[in-house]
Amino acid sequence: MRSLFVKELRLYFTAPIFYAVACVFLIIAGIFFSNAMIRESMFASQIAQYQMNMPVGLTEIVIQPLFDGISLLMLFLVPLFSMRLLAEEKASGTIELLFTYPLTDITLVAAKYLAGLTVLVILIACTGAYMGILAFLSPIDWGVVISSYTGLVLLAGSFLAVGLFASSLTKNQIIAASASFGLILIFWAMGGLSEHLSSGLTSKVITELALLTHLSSFLKGILVLKDAAYYVFFSLFFLALTVSVLESRRWRG
Amino acid sequence: MITIEGLCKDYGPRIAIRDLTFEVRQGEVLGFLGPNGAGKTTTMKIITAFMPPTSGRVSVMGFDTVKDSLKARSCIGYLPENNPLYNDLKVESFLAFAAGAKGLKSNRRRERVKEVIQACGLEEVGGRVIGRLSKGFRQRVGLAQALINDPPVLVLDEPTIGLDPKQIYEIRHLIKDVARDRTIVLSSHILPEVSQLCDRVAIINKGGIVAIDRPENLTTGLREHTSITVRVGRDSAEAARVIGAQDGVVKVVPAEDGLLTIDTGRDTDLRPAIVRQLVAADIDVYEITRRDLSLEEIFMRLITEEASDA
Repeated sequence: MRSLFVKELRLYFTAPIFYAVACVFLIIAGIFFSNAMIRESMFASQIAQYQMNMPVGLTEIVIQPLFDGISLLMLFLVPLFSMRLLAEEKASGTIELLFTYPLTDITLVAAKYLAGLTVLVILIACTGAYMGILAFLSPIDWGVVISSYTGLVLLAGSFLAVGLFASSLTKNQIIAASASFGLILIFWAMGGLSEHLSSGLTSKVITELALLTHLSSFLKGILVLKDAAYYVFFSLFFLALTVSVLESRRWRG
Repeated sequence: MITIEGLCKDYGPRIAIRDLTFEVRQGEVLGFLGPNGAGKTTTMKIITAFMPPTSGRVSVMGFDTVKDSLKARSCIGYLPENNPLYNDLKVESFLAFAAGAKGLKSNRRRERVKEVIQACGLEEVGGRVIGRLSKGFRQRVGLAQALINDPPVLVLDEPTIGLDPKQIYEIRHLIKDVARDRTIVLSSHILPEVSQLCDRVAIINKGGIVAIDRPENLTTGLREHTSITVRVGRDSAEAARVIGAQDGVVKVVPAEDGLLTIDTGRDTDLRPAIVRQLVAADIDVYEITRRDLSLEEIFMRLITEEASDA
């Protein structure tokens, strides 16, 4: 398990795609951050001008929009991180080594998932620099920051589980990326759909199934067990699907 | 030690192997010989538990490859066809990974990686990225990962394919070296290779075993005549007459420069008698050899027999 995990990490950091995607991620996150900062300063000066009594908290104007933006970015970038996980092994034939080593399918999936998650956590952690800048300028609500990061990692973990599943279905990395992007988008779009449904069981189910519904509490700085559980179960569900796809070789022949 | 009983494998409507039953004995090198598409790779993939058989069973060192898959797999070192490797990893880190994945304790790993690097002659490329190695070195890396957990059973699918003659020679040597205390199954379509490396040969065609025996038994068992060639000093016509008079000689064909080809009955070795006759007739003998049917001829014979049966 550990050596498989280490191997996955090694492969991540030797492949150019990691650096390309990480670069894009950090540039775009930087743009989001600058945007939010400019908006904050404009807002603050307007309030000063008209002497309004309004909250100009960093949380509402900088931190929440920034995390909203990063979660959207994840939607696009996680499929690019996850696409190679199993598809590449299949295309190059190295899956034959893995399947004939004395490793269980669960170990295989777990090691790959954890390696992918580690990379994503590293990437997300890079945005901590922005929080540092904010904290340097003015006191910020660390509770919100910590809960937002928790939510973001859980969200990224869910995306990754979907991506790993998509990667188990094909040996073509492009198809893997497209399929995981599509799947994530379906769960993403559900949130919007539920708004137009009359309140009923269907609407409730769709709202609860949607990926983004459960992020808002984290971004507000509230840790709700139900929402955390949703992401954990969502990930476990897709990981279990991945394991059964791998196992299917034993009965599909 | 590998036992294979009634093994069948279908790929949809296509039958890859049918009712294969044989045993690979402890410490033996068994060669799989057969044309492309005969079912060699399929059989090996089932032995290594990469895929399940449609019916029948395989046990490796007493472990069923389906029911006791993990235990069976930990007894096997496998070099798959085309030798897939992680091209982005360095040789050493790849071998360290293989050692860990095959369950070697972390304190043994470093030591064992060193050992196989030495055993497989990889010292000079240990720190290099696998993707940039020559084919010969890649093959050694493939063999090294198979050997990393010191498995009692090795399964090598076409270990010398695509190598140049020098590399082939080196890989064969390497296989001979590691064969000493291991049970090995290797496939090949290079016939001399099989006869050099293997204790027994299984010739397989169209998913079934056509013949399985020691290479020398295969070569003697199938010929109708024993063929002897003699080189004499002068006057091959006179020599032909002398030899033709010998009991048991079926046919003598004289060729140029004193070379004669003699067909005799299959179970007698007439070489001493022929030499005595020639010397008595005052003819100089420079060379006499018994020529066995080559494995190649046997292979072709068996394969074509099979085809005419069908």
